[in-house]
Amino acid sequence: MAFLDIKGVSKRFGGLMALNDVSLQVEKGEIFGLMGANGAGKTTLFSVIAGHVAPSAGEVVFDGTRLTGLSPSRICRLGLCRTFQIVRPFAGLTVAENLRVAALYGSGRKLSASEIAAVVDEALQAVDLADRRHLDAAQLTLSGQKRLEIARALATGAELIMLDEVMAGLNPTEVSAMLATLERLRGEHGLTFVIVEHVIGALMTLSDRILVLDHGERIAFGTPEEIGNHKRVAEVYFG
Amino acid sequence: MILGLALAVFGVAVPFIGSPYMMGVVFQVAMWIALAQSWSMLSATTGYLSLGHAVFYGIGAYVCVLLTGTLPFELALLAAAGSAGLFAALVGMPVLRVRGPYFVILTYGLSELVRHVVMRIESALGSFGRMIFDVPSTEVLLWWMVGLAVLATLGAYAIRHSRFGAGLAAIREDEVAAETVGVPVTRLKLLAFIASAIIPGAVGGLALLRTSYFEPAQAFDPVISFTIVTMALVGGTETVRGPILGAVGFALLSELLWSSLPQLYMIVLGLTLIGFILFVPKGLSGLLGRIGRAA
Ligand SMILES: Nc1ncnc2c1ncn2[C@@H]1O[C@H](COP(=O)(O)OP(=O)(O)O)[C@@H](O)[C@H]1O
Ligand SMILES: [Mg+2]
Repeated sequence: MAFLDIKGVSKRFGGLMALNDVSLQVEKGEIFGLMGANGAGKTTLFSVIAGHVAPSAGEVVFDGTRLTGLSPSRICRLGLCRTFQIVRPFAGLTVAENLRVAALYGSGRKLSASEIAAVVDEALQAVDLADRRHLDAAQLTLSGQKRLEIARALATGAELIMLDEVMAGLNPTEVSAMLATLERLRGEHGLTFVIVEHVIGALMTLSDRILVLDHGERIAFGTPEEIGNHKRVAEVYFG
Repeated sequence: MILGLALAVFGVAVPFIGSPYMMGVVFQVAMWIALAQSWSMLSATTGYLSLGHAVFYGIGAYVCVLLTGTLPFELALLAAAGSAGLFAALVGMPVLRVRGPYFVILTYGLSELVRHVVMRIESALGSFGRMIFDVPSTEVLLWWMVGLAVLATLGAYAIRHSRFGAGLAAIREDEVAAETVGVPVTRLKLLAFIASAIIPGAVGGLALLRTSYFEPAQAFDPVISFTIVTMALVGGTETVRGPILGAVGFALLSELLWSSLPQLYMIVLGLTLIGFILFVPKGLSGLLGRIGRAA
C-alpha cells in the first residue's frame, strides 16, 4: 500500500472542475514532483489532501488512515503537513516562536522543553534562518518567509511534507542550497516530499517521479526523463 | 509580578487600616482587575474582542441572587462561576465561528439578548428587583474580590506562558496556518472563551452580595462590557500587567469623576479609549516599558 494514496479526487468550484478524477500514489521516502501551468489545480490538490478543502468526490488515504473529513490539525498530527504558496507566517511572532508553535502542537504528543528547543534549532538550521530567529516573521524578506514555511512544516515533525512553490523568488544559489537541504532531509530523516515548483529545472533534478496536471486532469506521469520527452507536456508547458 | 503582589497585600490589609470609603475603592479596583484580566484570557490572547462580558457578570449575579438563602454564599459564588462557564461552553461554538467586527457585534448582541430575556422573566414573575439579606461582611467580600483579582492575574499569566497560550497566539496571528501546523483551533478557542467567563461569573455574584440588590438592567449593563474593554486596551494587551494598570488607572479616574462629574463618565471613557488606540496602541504597559528602557 502506498504511503499517500489519492483515489479519484475531484473538486468542483461552481462550474469549474479544478480537479477531475485525479489518482496518484506517493511512496515513503520519495520526492514526488507535481507540475502544471497556472490554474492546473496543484494548490487545490494540496488543499484537499491537507484537509482545507473537501473533495467533491474521491478520497485520500495516508499511511493507512483515511484523511477525508478530518480537520487539517488532525491531519498534521497524523504526520502530513503542507506549506502555503501565498505565505502565511505568524507575522507578529518571532521566527523561533513560529517554529515553537509547530513543535508544540504538530506531532500530537507532548515534547519536553529541551526537545522543543532542539526541534526548533534543527528546523532553523535546515533552512538557514538561525541568525534571524529573534526577528518578527513580518520582518523577513519573501524568500525568508518561504523558508519559514518549510521550517514550520519540518518543526511539526511531519513525515510527509507538501511544498507549494517554495522556491519561487529564490535566486539560483538559494535554489541549489534548498535542493541540497531537501535531499539531506530525505536522507537523514527519511522524509517524504511532494513538491510543486515553477522552477522546472529544480523539479527535474530533485524528483523521483513527476505527475503533470492540466485543467485538473492527469496528462502525464513518469520519471523526470520521461516527462522531459513527453509530447503533450511539451505542448502544454512550453507552448 | 511585584506590582500585583503589592496590590494584593494592600487589598488584604486595607480593612485593618482603611476607611469604609477606602474599602469601597479597593473593592472596585479588585473587581475591575479580575474582569479585565479574565477578558484578556480570551481577547488579548486570540484577538477575539468580546464586547459582551457583562453577560457573564450578569449571569453570576442572577444565579447568586437565586441561590443565596438556600446555599451558603461560598457555594452560591461557585455556582455563579460555574453557570457563567457553562453558558460560555453552550454558546461558544457558534459564536466563535465569526471573527473580527462580527465577533465584537455578536458578543454584544448576545449579552443584550440575555439581559432582555432576564428582564422579561423577572417582570413576568412580578419581581422588580430582588433584595437579599444576610450577606457576608464587607471585609469578607473584599477579601474574596481581592482573591479573585489575584486568581485572574495568575490565570492570565499561566495561560500566556503555557502551550495553550502559544496555541492561542498562533490563532490570533493566522487561524488557518495555526490549524495547518496541528493547533486544534476550535477546541482552544472554546477553552479560552470558557476560561474568560468563569471568574466574571463569580465577580458578578460578589458584586451582588456587596450591593445586596439585584436588578437585571443593572447586572447586565453593557457599560460593564465597555469598561472592561477600555481598561484592558488602555492598560495594554501585550502583558499581564496591562489589565492591572488599566483597571487601577480607570477605577481611580472614575472615582474622581463619579464624585464630581458623573455625567462625564461615559464621555471620558470614550475619549480615553480613542486616544489610547490612536496614540498609545500598546497601552500604559507599553508606555511604562518604554520609559523603563529609556531611563
Ligand atoms: N476557493 C476557490 N474558489 C473558486 N475557484 C478556485 C478556488 N481555488 C482555486 N480555484 C480555481 O481552481 C483552479 C485551480 O487553482 P489552483 O489549484 O490554485 O491552481 P495552481 O495551484 O495549479 O495554479 C483555478 O482556475 C482557480 O481559479
Ligand atoms: Mg498554486
